[in-house]
Amino acid sequence: MAATTGRPTKWALIWPFFLILALHSLAIFLFTRGFLLTRTELSSFSHCSDLSQPNSSNPCSFPSQPEPEPEPEPEPDGKCWTRPAVDRLVIILLDALRFDFVAPSTFFQEAKPWMDKLPVLQKLASGENATARIFKAIADPPTTSLQRLKGLTTGGLPTFIDIGNSFGAPAIIEDNLLYQLSKNGKRVLMMGDDTWMQLFPDHFERSYPYPSFNVKDLDTVDNGCVEHLLPSLQNEDWDVLIAHFLGMDHAGHIFSVDSTPMVQKLEQYNNILEEVIEVMRSQSGPGGLHENTLLLVMGDHGQTISGDHGGGTAEEIETSLFAMSMRAPPDAVLSVLDAIFCKVNLAGEKTCISSIQQLDFAATVAALLGIPFPFGSIGRVNHELYALSAGTWGGQRNSGKNCNSRSNLEEWMQNYVNALCVNSWQVKRYIDIYSVTSVIGLPSEDLSHIRQLYTHAQDNWSNITRSSCLAKNDIPYEDHGSLVSTLQKQIDAYSKFLESVATLARSAWTEFDLILMGVGLIVMLASLFVHLLAIRRVHVLCQSCYTAPTVSFISLRSIVVYLLVLMRGASFLSNSYILAEGIVANFLLATTGILNLSCSIADGKFAIEELLFLFINIILRLGIEFGISKQTAGSTSLSFHFLSILPIDKDHPVLIGLLEIFPIFILFVVAFVMFKCSSTLPCRRCIKFCFVGTVLSYILIAVHWVSESNVVNVYPELQDFGKNIAPRLVYAIGFGLLVLLVLSQIFYQKATVSDSTEKLAPATAAMVSAWSSAILILLGKRGSFVALICIGGAWCIIKSQKPATGRDITKGNSGVFFTDPVNITQWSLLAVCLFFYTGHWCAFDGLRYGAAFIGFEHFNIIRQGLLLVIDTFGVSFILPILGLPFLVGHPHQSTREDRAKDVPFFNLTKVFLSYGLITAVTTTFTIICVTIQRRHLMVWGLFAPKYVFDVLGLLLTDVLICCASLLYY
Amino acid sequence: MGMRQIVEAPVVIGSHSWVRRNPKDCSLLKAAGRGLLSLPIGALLNAFGAIVLGAPIGIKYLARTAYWSLLMSLFTFVPAACVFGSSRIDWQHFVACDKPTEITDYMIYFPAYGAVVGAWVGAWPMPLDWERPWQEWPICVTYGSVAGYLVGLLASSVCILLYVKRPTHTKSD
Repeated sequence: MAATTGRPTKWALIWPFFLILALHSLAIFLFTRGFLLTRTELSSFSHCSDLSQPNSSNPCSFPSQPEPEPEPEPEPDGKCWTRPAVDRLVIILLDALRFDFVAPSTFFQEAKPWMDKLPVLQKLASGENATARIFKAIADPPTTSLQRLKGLTTGGLPTFIDIGNSFGAPAIIEDNLLYQLSKNGKRVLMMGDDTWMQLFPDHFERSYPYPSFNVKDLDTVDNGCVEHLLPSLQNEDWDVLIAHFLGMDHAGHIFSVDSTPMVQKLEQYNNILEEVIEVMRSQSGPGGLHENTLLLVMGDHGQTISGDHGGGTAEEIETSLFAMSMRAPPDAVLSVLDAIFCKVNLAGEKTCISSIQQLDFAATVAALLGIPFPFGSIGRVNHELYALSAGTWGGQRNSGKNCNSRSNLEEWMQNYVNALCVNSWQVKRYIDIYSVTSVIGLPSEDLSHIRQLYTHAQDNWSNITRSSCLAKNDIPYEDHGSLVSTLQKQIDAYSKFLESVATLARSAWTEFDLILMGVGLIVMLASLFVHLLAIRRVHVLCQSCYTAPTVSFISLRSIVVYLLVLMRGASFLSNSYILAEGIVANFLLATTGILNLSCSIADGKFAIEELLFLFINIILRLGIEFGISKQTAGSTSLSFHFLSILPIDKDHPVLIGLLEIFPIFILFVVAFVMFKCSSTLPCRRCIKFCFVGTVLSYILIAVHWVSESNVVNVYPELQDFGKNIAPRLVYAIGFGLLVLLVLSQIFYQKATVSDSTEKLAPATAAMVSAWSSAILILLGKRGSFVALICIGGAWCIIKSQKPATGRDITKGNSGVFFTDPVNITQWSLLAVCLFFYTGHWCAFDGLRYGAAFIGFEHFNIIRQGLLLVIDTFGVSFILPILGLPFLVGHPHQSTREDRAKDVPFFNLTKVFLSYGLITAVTTTFTIICVTIQRRHLMVWGLFAPKYVFDVLGLLLTDVLICCASLLYY
Repeated sequence: MGMRQIVEAPVVIGSHSWVRRNPKDCSLLKAAGRGLLSLPIGALLNAFGAIVLGAPIGIKYLARTAYWSLLMSLFTFVPAACVFGSSRIDWQHFVACDKPTEITDYMIYFPAYGAVVGAWVGAWPMPLDWERPWQEWPICVTYGSVAGYLVGLLASSVCILLYVKRPTHTKSD
């Protein structure tokens, strides 16, 4: 604070940080508003009376059967839009049900341990004339539970921004299936995952919700479901029953798919399903409770082998749907089922599998139950699911009225065409209203195309109805084949229309506000300019105080820096490069390392630290590659482990013991290194205290790891202490030290400081060490190794700083020293590499949810969110930025004459600014690339998560730099 | 397997051309011996560099990495070793890429740096998801280095022609 003569005050140095933070926030806010705001939710609702209104221009005004005599009222059986096909519906939702959990293993290249664990479903769906069927259900990304539930019930495409709400699910305001159900007098019974209650707070007749957020809890929700499911099946007081089992999702998150708990879960579900089907069968006779019930067993999304989901890979979007109608449909109707993917299952029976889009779910269910389709649904009534329920019309067939010679198949087709007609009309209505009310709407040429398709289909239909058997006179239709083919043509016409709508919606749904995006981008570019000016200003300030050297912005080394940063930025244009970002960063880091090495060789020195740096690079790269293989291939290479190269049995007790001890050993090495470093620093008492606290935390971490391991049998009390209390203590100590440091910095500032460098290094070291323990424990057992690599990498970079005698930096006599931009870039690249090395990647399934539950059993949005943030950004943002002053405390500086003692602050300012600039440039490139690629296939799968991560990282960088500047100066 | 041949072919061609050229350099058979000796050393250095930069490790890739690094060694290390021998200063100048002073410097610097830069740039298609066979580890890098080498040769010839002040007995490409 105290400004000596000629020295600019603290604020003069650090206000640009705040300006830049503000500019970045503004730019990001604007861009995000434009980019992630995607779909206008319409608040209209469908009503039963929509179809019969005279002005609705509805061509399907002959609801299910064209009657010659105009009927005054809707039919007495409560028909609304379509003719109800089923009376009751049982939906058993198994969260994260992979397709290969249900489908027979003969459909896949090789049988895995988790396949064929639901034999009851396979048995029912196999054989000729099966009344049940397995579907491969294709979900639309984002494949998180909340988005999928929303998509399933609204029949729309939930948008990306909803992901942010996934932790605090808001009620759905759009028209949806459950709204229609309750509106039309259907009683819905819900049990299981309490997300449903948040989405639909008052749509259920009765509900038994159970908390779903504790990932470690595999059984609460499922046991609750089991408790209520079977008794409810005996009751009569519901029309739609939804049971949402959650254990599989949690088992995947915690243990991965290839694990015993997962198999146990599957076996448990098999037993439950057996009982459910048993109960339903026993009541399915005429007059029975389940005479006319449809059973659906389905997943909301899939999961990767490692148990993650959220993205758009095949494993995540492919889930399954099992449908079984309690009454067998006529054989003729069953013939419409696809028989393309048929194979013989393990029992030697033929099993066929069809495919369905989850988008179609809402429309199909609505059609089956005879309720209005949700207003925003753009799905199509699925013909196979519709056919499976066709048998239920058998009893109520009023075939005597007209065309009594029609076969079952024709009647079914007739019904289906009617359903599709209503379906098309409803979708068309939605698209029309949407394109009028939303700001940007849909591309007009596509719109006119689908309008054309629709008109074509409807005209065709009215011609047919006018001229054919469906027309009034009772002439029996002679040519059955011709009727079937006419109906089939009509079905094709409607399907074509509905499919093109779905394609259009998928491709062009996301509605970017290009103006906001453009403004945001411009502000971002302006902030880069401000950044450059700020760096320039530091030089000017510095020169005004000291005879500082004029540092040219164009030198060989700085050109290298510009090139590296620009190349890294430009690489985000390609989705493959985003996937390989860690490798690319590592490649660039290695390049700088090699350049440095060649420079020192050219100077005639052989620098051990530069060689060591290259070795660290290799380790980093191997770790990153491992992470990438986990991210992309999942199933194929998860079993790959570095140890598998060695010819050692994986279950060998010595090896397991070594694996348990190794991290703890490394941890003590880290503690020792830290202790050594701290003892060389001139320290104040409270900073010494800080190191003691950190070492104490490390011991607690070691206790925690020991108690987690299975090798050593410790006392239960100790185990409990290690599992829960120790991590909490670590967090508490970390927080306490942080507060202590901040306080001491504030009060210590008053005291006179002999040398600013002497103050800077210990403060930084204490700061970093205070954070380190919490980050370490969150990273898990490999955390200690990561810490060692961090220290090693940072040491190498610090040591390899070129003294100012380098040929590119002109040196003044004053000894003013500015950190080489190459080193700052290295620092930043190292941070990026560490992000990937610690098993993260820029996707929401890359978050390590398990880390948030270290030390805690229960979910708390703030607490667990905070831990997740620390885990995600700890090694890659918090530590590197807080550790940046190490780059200033340069060994060559100790010979500096006394008058330059403020120079470190100029240098530090420049270092912070440069580091921020590098991050900002990278983020700007990400923003530009996202803008360019906004219609890319992978925009939601890759570019948008990358954007979110980068933007959060940039904001965090700015905030941290501001905090650090307040603290250190 | 076909890939290995692709890799092997330039190796053989390159080695022939260099082996033939070695004795023509200023020294006698000694230079050629030095070149031969430096071939594996240079290959090791290059392989290390490649692994640092992200070349895959594993038995499967061992042969390919070996071929590639031998090729790179021929492009970069062998000629330098033939000419410089064990002159420390010359090597330092070489690594630092100082301004070339002699004609032989041009001959060595440009192709060698061309090959290295070419290989570095040649790595860019590797992460792309085109799934072409040539995106495998050493192939596009090899093409890059060969291209860079050729450009370097061209540049060095041009430079030599431009700056030639005295008749030279070495240039013979």
